[in-house]
Amino acid sequence: MMAIASEQQTVDLREPGGWRRTKNRIATGGMFLAFLIAVIPLGFVLFTVISKGASAITWQFLTGGPIPPNVLPVTFGGMGPAVYGTLVITGFAALIAIPLGVLGGIYINEYGGNQVLARVINFFADVMTGVPSIIMGLFIFTIWVLHFGYSGMAGSFALACLMLPIVIRSTYEMLRLVPDSLREASYALGATKARVTVTVVLPAAVSGIVSGALLAIARAAGETAPLLFTILTVEAINTNLFSGPNTALATQIFANATQPYTGAQARAWGAALTLIAIAFILMIVARLVTARFARYSQ
Amino acid sequence: MATKADPAPAGSASPLSRRRPLGDRTFQIACLAAGLLVLVILVLIAITTTQQSATWFSTVGLSGVFSTNWDPGSGHYGALPFIYGTAVTSVIAIVIAFPMSVGIALLLTEVVPRRYSRPIVYVIDLLAVVPSVVWGLWGFLVLAPWLQTIYQSIASGLTGVPVLSTFFGGTSVSGVSFFTAGLILAIMITPIVTSLSREVIATVPTIDREGAYALGATRWEMIRGAVWPHSQTGVIGAVLLGLGRAMGETIAAALVIGSSPTITTHLFSPGYSLPSVIANQFGEATVGVFRSALIGMGVLLFVLTIIINLTARGIVGRSARRARGA
Amino acid sequence: MALLAACSSSSSSSTSSPGATSAPGETSAAAAASGTLNGSGSTLQLTFQQAAIAAFKSTSPSITVNYAGVGSGTGRANLYANTVNFAGSDSSIPATEQSKVPAGATVLYYPVLIGPIAVTYNLPNVTNLKLDGPVLANIFSGKVTTWNDPAIKALNSGASLPSTPITLAVRSDSSGTTQNFSLFLQEAGGSAWALGSSSTIKWPSTAHAASGNGGVATVVKSTVGAIGYNDYATAKASNLSTAVIKNKDGNYVAPSTAAASAAADGAAVASNLTFHAVWAPGAQAYPITAQSWILVYQKQPNANDVALLKAYIGYLLSSQGQALLAPLGYAPLPSSLDAKAQAQLSMLTS
Repeated sequence: MMAIASEQQTVDLREPGGWRRTKNRIATGGMFLAFLIAVIPLGFVLFTVISKGASAITWQFLTGGPIPPNVLPVTFGGMGPAVYGTLVITGFAALIAIPLGVLGGIYINEYGGNQVLARVINFFADVMTGVPSIIMGLFIFTIWVLHFGYSGMAGSFALACLMLPIVIRSTYEMLRLVPDSLREASYALGATKARVTVTVVLPAAVSGIVSGALLAIARAAGETAPLLFTILTVEAINTNLFSGPNTALATQIFANATQPYTGAQARAWGAALTLIAIAFILMIVARLVTARFARYSQ
Repeated sequence: MATKADPAPAGSASPLSRRRPLGDRTFQIACLAAGLLVLVILVLIAITTTQQSATWFSTVGLSGVFSTNWDPGSGHYGALPFIYGTAVTSVIAIVIAFPMSVGIALLLTEVVPRRYSRPIVYVIDLLAVVPSVVWGLWGFLVLAPWLQTIYQSIASGLTGVPVLSTFFGGTSVSGVSFFTAGLILAIMITPIVTSLSREVIATVPTIDREGAYALGATRWEMIRGAVWPHSQTGVIGAVLLGLGRAMGETIAAALVIGSSPTITTHLFSPGYSLPSVIANQFGEATVGVFRSALIGMGVLLFVLTIIINLTARGIVGRSARRARGA
Repeated sequence: MALLAACSSSSSSSTSSPGATSAPGETSAAAAASGTLNGSGSTLQLTFQQAAIAAFKSTSPSITVNYAGVGSGTGRANLYANTVNFAGSDSSIPATEQSKVPAGATVLYYPVLIGPIAVTYNLPNVTNLKLDGPVLANIFSGKVTTWNDPAIKALNSGASLPSTPITLAVRSDSSGTTQNFSLFLQEAGGSAWALGSSSTIKWPSTAHAASGNGGVATVVKSTVGAIGYNDYATAKASNLSTAVIKNKDGNYVAPSTAAASAAADGAAVASNLTFHAVWAPGAQAYPITAQSWILVYQKQPNANDVALLKAYIGYLLSSQGQALLAPLGYAPLPSSLDAKAQAQLSMLTS
């Protein structure tokens, strides 16, 4: 209120009208300009990745393997092991983080109420979304890799740490939107709280939760830092998620980016396009799910 | 029924039953455990990484940790150049991202009709979907060589100009630099700062807006008079959260920051940051103080980002409560 | 069958010497050996390992080898933690790390390659730039700052050197390349070099640091007046000009795989096969080289691991394996050293 009072003086309606309108136009123009400035790098990066990556992408590139030596051109071998690694490591991370995250979200909204513990968990889940992804990598390195060695699963753990708070938060936000009348009606029929939550509340919020989870997966799939110290990034395919070094698209791009060989760089661009495509597909699916949800809630 | 407390032992992991209260109880415990996991992970992060970095802290001491001398070859492990670089690049990122994000947020809430705002939101969200390593790849192979020539002409044009040459001059102008890293970070945090600012601005009561318009204010005057005073605290919180993100961003920064542990005012010179030194040097670090120091950098980063996030959440939370109260 | 061929070509010279009782058993174990070997470490070895793994796969399809170029430090750490079967390292185990080696364990060093380190520069119209130890030491200490400095002119009479300022391109990450390059500056530069020899050097603050050999190459390539150091493979792949360096015998030698092998020929090799070929004597020896080893524990947990390691390391040291090196820009081991390394294979036991 104080702030409004002090700021209101700056709006001087006695200024000449022409100048006021001009200022208004300049400001509106500035807002559009801000949007344009944000779009330029996006267009630039997408254009580069597509133009440089598309020529690398073939069926063999996506599924073939092992990843060839850096010196060889992009026509040899393929990134199959990295595509496999990214899908499996991220998939397993989702398998860990989504159920736990949904349960955590349920706790905060359905059981926690106004308890201090629920508020603390909610607050720190929020804080945890801001913990840098490299910290998750270092954490799993010190607590897991140092004792049990590198594996795809170690990478999954690091990614799951990253996804958990995102899923908790999005679940919580979605559950909050479910009207209490729905819960009360179910209780009136004599259902237990767990039953109400699982059969009534969750289905009502499921599209929002699914879309939040998909966005978390999209973010995790593109992450490099948590995998840097956990999977070791090798060239051959490793179908065993639970032991032995593995590989992923993101860490391959990071390794290839500073290589002087054109073949290695071409593979990096191809892998970048693959990774962006995976993330975009997940995001579009999430949007479609949300759109359905929006229709239902209307 | 829902409140019935069955004295089932907490450890009995019976499958979720929809009929018996035991299942009800188990489900509640499972939910609580999942929620507590957040706290457990945060505490474990703090404990294990601190443990691993203890060698560093005890070997070089407080003055060694906060010294400018990073020279692992001769046993100097000062973190100051990395703290400095982290601060400089994230401040550059915020200075660029703040007006852009707030501009886009205002565009979405105040200017563009709802129907057209959705595509704009999609486009901004696409920025967040491009993985960090792809920004880094593009920044390193495409953007940096292109910026190098621009930086060089700016630097030579500014030779002798008092203040500007301190920041944009210098002899070691490079395409990979503090400024390039700041630019990439700015792009990367724009989506989150935009969406948080939008949420905050959306809480401004319609009646305030209508009041300003009723007084004959233009849209810009309405924004300055009604929207901004109401949402400035929340927007500052959003910016702080963006700052936290920029500080922790690793891979993109590691590729474009130039990787030189120097403290200089020249923004077009190569620098270094906490997360990127961990990513770049961990591989060759010898077991012992060197590795311990790099994990210690992670601890510093963890502490810094936690402080920033706590502050930001505090600010956002307070402004949200005030908004609800108003 | 193919595995047998690979093994016999590599170990025919060595398996004849140990007792005849163990040799047949070992051979049959090697023939039956199948499984996965995981290695990690040196990025200098990475290109060679990648090529060798691909070639080895065709001769021994039943053995899968993985190698991750994570850096020598992590490679050794992984070995201590038993998360890999072998480590690639550009240096011997430093004194500070000795305590990390499990008590009672012996680490065997198998040298696999010599890597010439090229001094790369970006000066249009200047070819065959000649440099020696003291001048390089002064350049990389930041004392010589322009290309037309009298010290550089004195070595390059006739060349038209511009007044362009010198931009130093150096490694930001800790690396064996830096270690060996600084070792050269220390040995050949004498009093002109005061920054010591280590895998990370506190370079003058004006230096452009970049990550990896590729990063340094990118800086040199994009900056007129830049000078840097790269492994020869990268310098070749990036088409950079390389300087001609004065060696210990006083001759100016261009970096090449043959000149690097010549240097290793003159190097003093310790009984555990550790050595360095920097500033080694020899008329044709190129004075700046790096070398890389495979580190394994002498005592392996089982006979199959022994067989796998013998097969793979044997392949790397064989004439087929070593022949992969030169096209990649690395130098093969001199034959005397290669023979010693092959003989050491018999020391692996379970």
